[in-house]
Formats: sequence, structure tokens, C-alpha cells
Amino acid sequence: MAIATPPTPAAAERMERLEQIWESRPGILGWLTTTDHKRIGLLYFWTTLALFGAGGAEALLIRTQLAQPNQHVVSPQTFDELFSMHGITMIFFFIIPMTTGAFGNYLLPLLLGARDMAFPRMNALSYWIFLASAIFIYTSLFIGKAPNAGWFNYVPLASKQFNPGHNIDFYCLGIIFNSIASTLTAGQFIVTIFKSRAPGMSLNRMPLFCFAMLAASFGLLFALPALSADTTFLFLDRNVGTHFFDASHGGSALLWQHLFWIFGHPEVYILIVPAFGIATSIIPAFTQRRLVAFPLVAVAELLVVFVGFGVWAHHMYAVGMTTISMIFFAAATAMVVIPSTIQVFAWCMSFITGFARFKTPLLFIAGFIFMFVTGGLTGIMFVAIPFDQQVTDTYFIVAHFHYIIFGAAVFPIFGGMYYWFPKVTGKLYFERPGQISFWIIFVGTNLLFFPMHIVGLLGMTRRVSTYPSGLGWTAYNLAETIGGFVTLAGILLLLGNLFVSYFRGPPAGPDPWHGPTLEWTTSSPPPEYDFAVIPRVTSAYANWDPVDREADRLNLADGLLMLEHGHEQPTVTPVDGRLAEIAQMPHESPWPPVLALALALVFTMLLIGLYGVAGIMGLVCLLALAGWHSQEPPE
Amino acid sequence: MSGYSVPQSQVGRPTAWWGMTILIASEATLFGTFIGTYYYLRFKTPTWPPGGIPEPKLVVPLVMLAVLVSTTVPMRLAATAARTGRLAATRLLIAVALVVQSGYFAYEVHDFSDQLHRFDITRNAYSSIYYTLLGADHAHVLLGVLFNLWLLGKLARGFTRYRIHAVQAIAWYWLAVNVLTIAVIGTLLSARA
Amino acid sequence: MNAPREDRRCLAFLVLAVVPLAGCGGSQNALAPESHQARDIATLFWWMMGGAWVGLGLVVGLLLWSWKRRNRRGFGRDVEGDKPGEKRSWYAVVVLGIVMPIAVISTLFVVSDLFVIKTTQAPASTTTKLTVQVIGHQWWWEVRYPGTTAVTANELHIPARTPVRVEVKTADVIHSFWVPELNRKIDTIPGRSNVVELDADQVGRYRGQCAEFCGLQHAHMAMYVFVDEPSAFRRWLAQQEKPVEAPSSALAERGARLFLDGPCSSCHAIRGTDADGYVGPDLTHVASRATLGALTVSNTPDDLRQWILHSQQAKPGNQMPDFNASGARLDALVAFLEGLK
Repeated sequence: MAIATPPTPAAAERMERLEQIWESRPGILGWLTTTDHKRIGLLYFWTTLALFGAGGAEALLIRTQLAQPNQHVVSPQTFDELFSMHGITMIFFFIIPMTTGAFGNYLLPLLLGARDMAFPRMNALSYWIFLASAIFIYTSLFIGKAPNAGWFNYVPLASKQFNPGHNIDFYCLGIIFNSIASTLTAGQFIVTIFKSRAPGMSLNRMPLFCFAMLAASFGLLFALPALSADTTFLFLDRNVGTHFFDASHGGSALLWQHLFWIFGHPEVYILIVPAFGIATSIIPAFTQRRLVAFPLVAVAELLVVFVGFGVWAHHMYAVGMTTISMIFFAAATAMVVIPSTIQVFAWCMSFITGFARFKTPLLFIAGFIFMFVTGGLTGIMFVAIPFDQQVTDTYFIVAHFHYIIFGAAVFPIFGGMYYWFPKVTGKLYFERPGQISFWIIFVGTNLLFFPMHIVGLLGMTRRVSTYPSGLGWTAYNLAETIGGFVTLAGILLLLGNLFVSYFRGPPAGPDPWHGPTLEWTTSSPPPEYDFAVIPRVTSAYANWDPVDREADRLNLADGLLMLEHGHEQPTVTPVDGRLAEIAQMPHESPWPPVLALALALVFTMLLIGLYGVAGIMGLVCLLALAGWHSQEPPE
Repeated sequence: MSGYSVPQSQVGRPTAWWGMTILIASEATLFGTFIGTYYYLRFKTPTWPPGGIPEPKLVVPLVMLAVLVSTTVPMRLAATAARTGRLAATRLLIAVALVVQSGYFAYEVHDFSDQLHRFDITRNAYSSIYYTLLGADHAHVLLGVLFNLWLLGKLARGFTRYRIHAVQAIAWYWLAVNVLTIAVIGTLLSARA
Repeated sequence: MNAPREDRRCLAFLVLAVVPLAGCGGSQNALAPESHQARDIATLFWWMMGGAWVGLGLVVGLLLWSWKRRNRRGFGRDVEGDKPGEKRSWYAVVVLGIVMPIAVISTLFVVSDLFVIKTTQAPASTTTKLTVQVIGHQWWWEVRYPGTTAVTANELHIPARTPVRVEVKTADVIHSFWVPELNRKIDTIPGRSNVVELDADQVGRYRGQCAEFCGLQHAHMAMYVFVDEPSAFRRWLAQQEKPVEAPSSALAERGARLFLDGPCSSCHAIRGTDADGYVGPDLTHVASRATLGALTVSNTPDDLRQWILHSQQAKPGNQMPDFNASGARLDALVAFLEGLK
């Protein structure tokens, strides 16, 4: 059981002191200067949710344009900007920041038994940079200069010669800007996972959610530089006159594709692995069973990202590579299947051998398994190079990756929203509308995405702004559009349910699901210090260890392990989780938003070509960093 | 009293060192991508350097490289001195390193603009990657110089645990920058082979 | 068109896909192969799809089994140390999650990437009798027959039952040449030339389309491949090789002068005249073509007239400006172009 109320007056006094130490400033200023991982997680959540709305609106406009042949709902220019922004938004501005920024930030310290991230101010910085980059790239849409060469933005279509406007400059700078935020988050997570666990939580006692976040963070850390290099080259080609991608001056258009997909394929796993983490949190809670084959699953989560770095060229089978290099990448693509199948069957066996309760979160996970397997099976088909060469760049591919990205990333996000709603708000959601929302979304997405397989095999290429009648595509396209709006209805019901539950829901208590991990040991919503007592951990399912929780209660009564003298957080040795030191954590800083603002000015000046001013703004950034470090923690 | 028996000596690396490791991993990957690009372009071009660009000079860059890499020694020693609490020694070692690093940087900036007069960055793909690699490396040296300046400013007001960790992290940064510089210069000089 | 077999496959797909499938045997249908390459790929797909349904069925079966066991007793009791069926579950994960996929995927890998891939590889230059060059432009296809003077656009004529080497290049950005009923697709990459083989079984008309996003009018960059009997193909090629003939009427004569003295000739070439522009398609035999604007509109006198006047409406952003011509001048121009058989 969770510690919600102090057992003794002395404990109450100490908790009072913790409260004072960790309390945030009131009002807007409190949110601007916050370093609380929960507040940052919520900021990420609301921002990415808004961006999900934008990306969804773009998708529905695309679907409306394609509902019938030869329509003119939007012009070809607008259509190109819509599908480019849809991809960019969903990948860079919704799924990554939602799974890592929102879920990761809010939950990681709670699952690790920590009071905050390893670098709380850097955490705030990553949010403010993310927000600034989102505003930056969406400005382009409002001034009619949005990126228009697709999310993978192939050159030479994206070069100055064929795309003279600022559209692609927004893309280059927006992506680099955004990847700074993602790199900060990734580094943050890696160090937090290695250093900020509750003492006693050796790596083999770490919940699978944290392994998933670790895998995704390593993926981001090592994949993003390739994208940054690529977009830097393109920016230089467009604005300085270099020739990285210019075949007439010794450059290569394929260099863009190689560098892009060296980032782009690991990216796919970066999108779905945190969602696997959400799934592996929900399954034990609703089957009341430790996940089958825990070590295999943990290794598989890391391995899937690792092998994912070796498969990039399978996006390029149609560019005329030599057969031998294609076969190499096909073999790597085949290997990446194994870690995925391990996880799928570990989940399925947990469902069967546990005591499954199909409440809304578990329904979403079951739906996720169905969608992921469907998308995975079409993914396996791309091991077959000739078939890939036939269907690449058609709607078959569009179907495949939407099953993966919507099915395997967004379904767990929805499931996770329901699952942790009681923890974040202290209220229970309404179960019946929750289940209905699942079924609507499940039917809607399958109606939306399944026909895309067929229409792709019938020859419909992707990214066409319209299509002729008479090729047998019309009925499927109409079905997809209807599916899109059904999905919208389901999502609105989901959000409406959570909105109403926030005000009208019954109180949840600290642990409504008998959840397996440490976040369920503290009150709902968690206090600003997360845990009154640094929890004792002897397994990966800490909340199911009654002896340890009893020990926590005794420690609270005795005032032990409360660290109520300052912003204190134990740090541990990376592997076996022995106590290393009691670290003083920074608290509240105005510098992260200031630095993000200065960086936003740097990127704006680069965009409008005032490189000198950009340099001056760069100096301002350095000064802000110096100001940041003038705040030292007390000795 | 916390109830924890906190180890007396430093156990493992401080969090600041870990943070710096992340930065280094990210930057090293970026340089890896640049170097990969260099060879990708090279192996699809019959003559290298193409377009009548002269081969890079050998002796001066190697001497300068040796000068820069030699600052690894005072930076490492400074980290050790900081850990054992010798403030004066730490300041002196960092100052020595800073002087050499600044001299290196000043020369390289001069040399960079000098080379730009001989062949422009817009000449062809070789000149593009050549200057990008070199410029990125110099930028990292400049960042290190600024780090050291900032450190000396901080250390003027004595040691704190935070500052000791900063010395360790920045010494680690300089080691990485020196290794990256070896890789970059090695790559650029490989055009002579 | 090989109907019984197609029907059977349509039926299989219909049953398996649950959703009704309209338009089997359509004109850009990867599952209606008309060459041995496309047939190999389609066969590969049907096998893979069969396997995929089995795999999906397995997982759905497991999920339904757990649904059947939902709410069984034991929920909520303390789960410490309680791992029901742990050993058997481990075996299941190892067998279903490691052994089975390795077996299945190795088979797929060997079959598709060591054997089937041979049929879709770029042909060695000695194995084909005819070479055709296809050059992608924003947003149309230029087609050349090396060794002859023939140049056409947006349609490719090849002889039936003859392996043809198609060399693809680009004049600007990356496009992708794709005629799904005949073979896989191949990208056009700046600075290089890629090769794909076409070897059609039957006489007919096959639709192809640019598959790589290439800008504003990517949607209107299609082409027809006409597969002719070899003798008919030779006649067609001989006709295409000829330079333009003298206009047959006074009206067409006037149109010719308008074309040559006006803006048309700065972008279009007509062999045998001074017009040698290279921005738009070669129009030497434009009247012999089925469509205008890379399958944007059909090629009738009315459509041609509308195209000259308002091509920016039919295909916004294409390189040809709307041509503001009075009725008489337009009549002459259309008469001239209609004579370019």
C-alpha cells in the first residue's frame, strides 16, 4: 500500500518541511522557472497534444482532398505543405516529445524512485527549446512558407534551384532547433537512468519502461547528429553556395538520402520503443503478473534500436544500388524482426498466463499488439527486395508505417493516458466511455489505414495531390477518409472523457490498479518531492513487494531516508545501484526560458540571413549559460 | 541525519562528468557523420582533391596538432589537482593550457581565412566538406577556450564541489576535442595519400 | 488478360482482405502482372500475404484466448513471487519469438533476395535487343530511342515478348519510373543513369506513373507504355523517326508560321523545322500521342485547344504559360499540330 498519510506527528512535520523545500513559486512565474519534472512533463503534454491536433487537422484535410478523384479542396501547393507538415509534426513534434518529453519526464523519476531528473534545469531548457522550435516551424505554415518537399525532403527538389522560397530553410533550421531539444532530453534520460535511481535499484531491478526510455534515448543521441549534419549541409548548399548535394560539382543527391535514413530508420524505433515501455507498464498492472521473459524483453528493447542503425538503406532500394549492398541491408532488416517478435510473444503470453482485466488501458494495448503485428508483417515483406522495389513510394508503404506509427506508438500513448490519468489527476476516468472510445478508434484506424494496402497495390503512389478516376482507387480512398473522421470522433470521445473525469471523476487514491511500479506508492497526484521516503527497492515490481513498502512506512515514522534538509537526491553507481552521494539539486531557474529565447533569435536571424546578428545572439546564448551557472547549489 | 551512510570518498564519476560524456558522444557522432561524408564524396570522385585544388599542407598542421594535443597534459593534471583540492595548481595548469589553446586558435583562424583566399568554400564538394570539417573543429576549440576562461573566472573565488566537478568535466571535454582534432586533421591530410 | 487466374486471385484477396476489391485487372495494378518480372513479384506477394495472415491469425488467436480467460480468479491477490506458467511461457516466447521468425525470415530472405531478385535486376547490356532512354522532367517524361532520331514524350512503345533495356535519367529532380504491371520501379538520380528491364508478354497499353515526389505536379506525371507486335513497333518507330512533313492545308501552314515565329518554338522542338526548344516535349509527332501533359488530358482537337489556352488550369505550375490567342490564330495552331501525325 502506498504512503499517503503521515503515520506520526514527527513524520508530518518532516513532510511539511519537504513541502516547503520543494514547493514551486505560484502562478505563471512558477511554470516559467520550474524545474519540476512533473510540471515539465505536463507542459510537454499540453504542447504536444495541441500539435497532435494540428497534425491531425492536416491529415484530415489531406484525406478530404483525396476522398474523391480530381478534387480541388486545396491547391497542389497547399497539399504539398500539408503532407510535409503532417509528417514533420507527427514525428518530431508529437510522438517523440509526447513519449519522451511528456510520459518520460513525468514518469521516469517516479518509476526510478527519484525526486527529479539528473539535470533539472536542462530538462526545463529542453521544453522551452521544444516549444520555441514548434512555434518556429508553425510560423512557416501561417505565412504560407511551410516545408513542401515531404518530411524526408529529398534533394535536389529541396535545393535552392527547385525550391527558392524560405520553405526549406524553415525545415532545415526547425529540424536542427528541434533536435537540440530531443538531444537534451535523451542525454538527460540516460544520465538519470544511470545515476538517479533509488539506491538498491540495480539495473536488473529497473522497470521495463525505463529500459525502453534508455533504448530510445541512446537511439536519439546517436541518430540525431546524422540529421543535424544533413540539414546543416542543405542549409549551407542553399544559403552559402556549397555543393554537398550538387552532382554537377562533385556532390551527390544520394548523400542526403543516406544521411537522412541513417537517422530516419533508428527514428522509427525511437518512436515505438517508448510505446513498448508504456505497454510493458500496463500489461503487468492489468494481468497482475510479472511480464513473461523480463530479461529477454529488456535486451530486445535495447537490441531493436541497436540493429535499427544498420538497416537504413532499405528505404533506398529503388535508387539503383548494387545488388550485393541491397542484400546486406535486407539481411539486417531481417534481423531486426527478432527483437520485435520476442516482445510480441512475451506480451501475448503475459496476457494468457496472467489474470487479464480488459479495462480501457489494456484494450488499447491489445489493439496496439494487433496494429503492431499487422504493420510488422508488412514490414517483414520489405525483406523481399523485389517486392519492396515494387511497392515503395506507394500507399502500401503509407499503410505499413501508419500501422506502425499510429498503431504501435499512438495506441499505447492513448492507453497510457488512461492508465496514468488517476496518478496525474487523482481522479478515476469513466470506464464505459473509455472502452467505447477504444472501439471507435480501433475501427476508425483500421478503416483508415487498411484500404491503403490495397490501393497501393493497385498502383496509387504516395504524395499525389489528386488522382484520376477509373483506376479502381476511388472507393478505397472514400473509405479511408470516412475512417479518418471516425478516428477523430473516437479521439474526441477519449479527450472528452478525460476532461469530464478531471472534474467529475471519483477520487482515485494512490493505487487504483494495484500497479507494479513505484509511482503507485506515492499519493495521486504525487507531491512535488515525489517520495517522502526514498523507497527501498529489491525487484523490478517494487510496489508488489510488501516487505519493502512496510520498510518505507517504518522509515517514514522514524524519519529515516527522508532527506528533508535541502534539495537532496541520492545518486547511485550506474550498474549495481549502490549509493554514491547525496546530491544537491538545483531548484527553479529563470535561465532556461531565457536561453531558449536567445536560441530562437539565433535561428530566426539565420533564417532571414542576418548572420552577423545571429552571431551576436549566439554570444547572448553563451552569456545566458554563464548566468545559468552563476547559480550554484549550496555546499 | 538521513539514514544513509554516505561514502566518504567520491564513488564513481560525478553527474557532471556523465553530462559531458553525453555531449561528447553527440558531438563525436556529428564528426563521425562529417568524416563519413568526406569519404563518401571522396570515393565517388576520380581525383582528390578535385578541381585543381592543391593538396593540404603536411608539416604545419601536424606541428599545430601536436601543440594542441600537448595541452591534454596540463588539463588532466588540473583535474587531478582539483580532486585533491590544490587550488593554486589547478588555476596555474588551466592558465597554461589556456594560453597554448588560445595561441593555437588564433593561428588557425588566420590560416583558415588565408586558405579561403586560395580556394573558396563554394568551389566544389571537396571545398565544402573541407571547410565544414575544419570550421566545426575550430568551433569546438573555441568553445573549449571559453570553457577554460569561464573556469578561471569561477576558480578566482575558490573551490566548491560544483567547480571541482566542472574542472573534471572540462578536462574530459578537452581530451575529446583533442582526439576529434586528430581524427579531423588525419582525415583532411589523407587527401595526400 | 489471363482472366481465370486473375479472378481466382481477386477472389483470394477478397476473402482474405475481407474488404471488397474493386478493379482487379486495372491499368496500374501490381497484382495484374503482364511480364515475368511483375508476375514473380506478385507471386512472392501472394505467398507473403498468406504467411502474414497466418502470423496475424496466430497473434489474434492468442489475444482471443486471453480474452476467454479474462476475469479468471486470482486477480488482486498479492503477486509476489507468483509467476504462473512461467516456464512454459518462456518456451513459447523462445519458440514463437525467436525460432519461428528465424526459420520463416531466412526462407523469405533466400527465396526473394537470392532468387526472385535475379529477375528484377538491371539487365546486362548483352541480354537486350532494344534500348530506350527515359528522361524525367518536372513534370513529364522524355523518351528517346538511341540509334534513331525518334523522340517522343509521355508514352513508350516497345515490342511484345522482347526484353527492352530502359535507361532512366533526370533533367532536374529525382523521379521514379514505374509501370507496375511490367516491372518494379527505378529512381532517376541526378548525375547517374539507372537501368530497368521491360519484357511484356502481351500487346496492350499499360499505365505508369512517377513514384517519387517531384514537386507541385507530381500527381500529373504519368505515362503509357504501349506494347505492340514487333512488326507494328517497327512501323511506329520508322514513322517517329521521320522529320515533320509540310503542312497539308493553308490553315495549318499559317499555324506552322505562328508556331515557329511565336513563343512555342522557344520551348518545343519540331524536327525538320527551326524549332529546337528543350523545355517542353518534342512535338514532331504530337498528334500521334494519346494524351497531353503527361496523361493530364486526352489528345483531341478540343482538348488541345483548351490545353494551349488554359494549361495552367488543368496542371497548375507546369512550365507552359497560358497562351492568349484569338480564335483564328488558335484554329491555325491546332490545325498545324493536329497534322503532326
